Amino acid sequence: MKLLDHLEEWLITFLMAAATTIIFASVVHRYLSGVSIPGLQDWLLSLNFGWAQELCIIMFVWMAKFGAAYGVRTGIHVGVDVLINRMTGRTRAKFVVFGLLAGALFTGIVGTLGAHFVWENGFHYALYTALGKDLVDIPEGPTTPDLEWPTWIVYSAIPLGSSLMCFRFLQVTVSFIRTGELPHHDHGHVDGIDETTIAEEVNAFQMEDNLHPHDLTYRKRHPEDSSGQGGKQS
Amino acid sequence: MNASIIFIILLVLMLTGMPISISLGLTVLSFLFMFTQVPLESVALKLFTGIEKFEIMAIPFFILAGNFLTHGGVARRMIKFATSMVGHWYGGLGLAGVLACALFAAVSGSSPATVVAIGSILMPAMVKAGFPNKFGAGVITTSGALGILIPPSIVMVMYSVATNTSVGALFMAGVIPGIGLAMVLGGVTWYRARKFDYPRMQKATFGERWKAFRESVWGLLLIVVVMGGIYSGMFTPTEAAAMSAVYAFFVAVFVYKDLSMKDVARVLLNSANMSAMLLYIITNAVLFSFIMTNENIPQALADWMLGHGLGMIAFLLAVNIILLLAGNFMEPSSIVLIFAPILFPVAMKLGIDPVHFGILMVVNMEVGMCHPPVGLNLYVASGITKMGITELTVAVWPWLLSMLAFLVVVTYVPILSTWLPKTLGMM
Repeated sequence: MKLLDHLEEWLITFLMAAATTIIFASVVHRYLSGVSIPGLQDWLLSLNFGWAQELCIIMFVWMAKFGAAYGVRTGIHVGVDVLINRMTGRTRAKFVVFGLLAGALFTGIVGTLGAHFVWENGFHYALYTALGKDLVDIPEGPTTPDLEWPTWIVYSAIPLGSSLMCFRFLQVTVSFIRTGELPHHDHGHVDGIDETTIAEEVNAFQMEDNLHPHDLTYRKRHPEDSSGQGGKQS
Repeated sequence: MNASIIFIILLVLMLTGMPISISLGLTVLSFLFMFTQVPLESVALKLFTGIEKFEIMAIPFFILAGNFLTHGGVARRMIKFATSMVGHWYGGLGLAGVLACALFAAVSGSSPATVVAIGSILMPAMVKAGFPNKFGAGVITTSGALGILIPPSIVMVMYSVATNTSVGALFMAGVIPGIGLAMVLGGVTWYRARKFDYPRMQKATFGERWKAFRESVWGLLLIVVVMGGIYSGMFTPTEAAAMSAVYAFFVAVFVYKDLSMKDVARVLLNSANMSAMLLYIITNAVLFSFIMTNENIPQALADWMLGHGLGMIAFLLAVNIILLLAGNFMEPSSIVLIFAPILFPVAMKLGIDPVHFGILMVVNMEVGMCHPPVGLNLYVASGITKMGITELTVAVWPWLLSMLAFLVVVTYVPILSTWLPKTLGMM
């Protein structure tokens, strides 16, 4: 389980860094190859960066799918929680569980549909070829325009990412039912104007605002907020 | 009929508090399943192809760049520079805050990020200098909103994704309204500081100003890289975003040395997390707008409005009211992605300029970020100052009112937004 967590984090960190580097390199390449430096220019012209955009898009789509799953674990997905955050703890908890299960349902459906799609799109062919079975009426899938990778590999981000996300939703649901806690970001203290201050404690989009549901321990951590008590308290 | 079914499903699902992306996706699935013959498999494919556009990839790059700048000491040097320039006027640090926010907004594409970057350093400093807590919070919360109006802007990229408007033209169009709004907010700050006689700084000497400028020049240069690069056609907006991410990384790690390699990994992970969340909303919103177009809803709405003799003025008023209301429930990216595809065709039929319409939406989003119940800036400021949301709401009122007045001006004076891109020949 720990391994899966780390793998997820490494993957999206790597994709983010790699995509940035690739686009940077392709832009630098475009301009440097216009400068006439003997030797260097010829070498640069021999490189082809035409695939950079396509690879960048593929990397970011993969990052989006797996990052969305990671986002369930960190509780970053925003919703309209104005209404349910005004309810009392127990009623709200029911809605929170409903929302989480709805998330699991949607990602589960998409994962299944995606898997089906990938199967039809060439995975079937690839698998049977690899296994040496006979290929009666199974079409070979298409490939991407620039990199000429089989699309089923590229599109497998959908079933893989969605299934992981579905699993994460279920995981959060279980832990919420057990402990009454949702993943949240507690903003610690932020120091004053001092040379070492790094503005990192406040992470926008991960706060206990009305874009995220309050969990059952919210009252303890935010005693000043009297909403969600079904009225005023004396 | 179909339209109302779609909207009722969406509304009910959203109000249960599930993530917006999930409620959009489930609406589409259930509608397709119950009322149409469209094969569900096409949904899975759309989930991939929905974001297969190079323009969208500007969003993760800008988020990454913004995070490097926030953590990398660029904000602190910009504050010093701003303070040395305007700190001696009425409003002192407050006015410097507005200027610093405007400068930071010109390198960052997000409002809450601007509040974090400037606010976490400046707000404590203002309290130390003798300003009331709520004055500082009011200034920074509202000025931080400049982040999405002054280019680059993530919300503008979202709008361009939803409506196929040129990102470059939108960016240029944001410059004049952005400077205008900064001046309005600065004016309010100046007026209130003079009225209550808040402390001023000592006037910085020319030497001090030069030093502050030299230190912050690395951050300021980024403005030239992004805007100049896009305008001159050297980069596409997405490439400019990638360049600014690499540049910001370089400055933070090698020039200012405020960020260690270990921090870099964390910044990358955080940025990936936030980008993935936004990209996930985009994919599902693309699905949703696909359904809308499939059912001809925007067209029907446009015909209905024109049939009732609704003119441009009434329409723009209605748009403002709808968006301000929506700002009570959702954050800007979702609002733009859901409402822009619906309202845009109507605006086109009424002859409203697409770029002007985009700027109008962005200014609306800014207002929504500064008031409860969901104003992101407000929550960020609350996290920094430890003030309650109610108290902060009172604190931002003077600035929020002037922002609303500015919204009216932007709405009905299109030339504010369209003049610069037209003059530069970008539209």
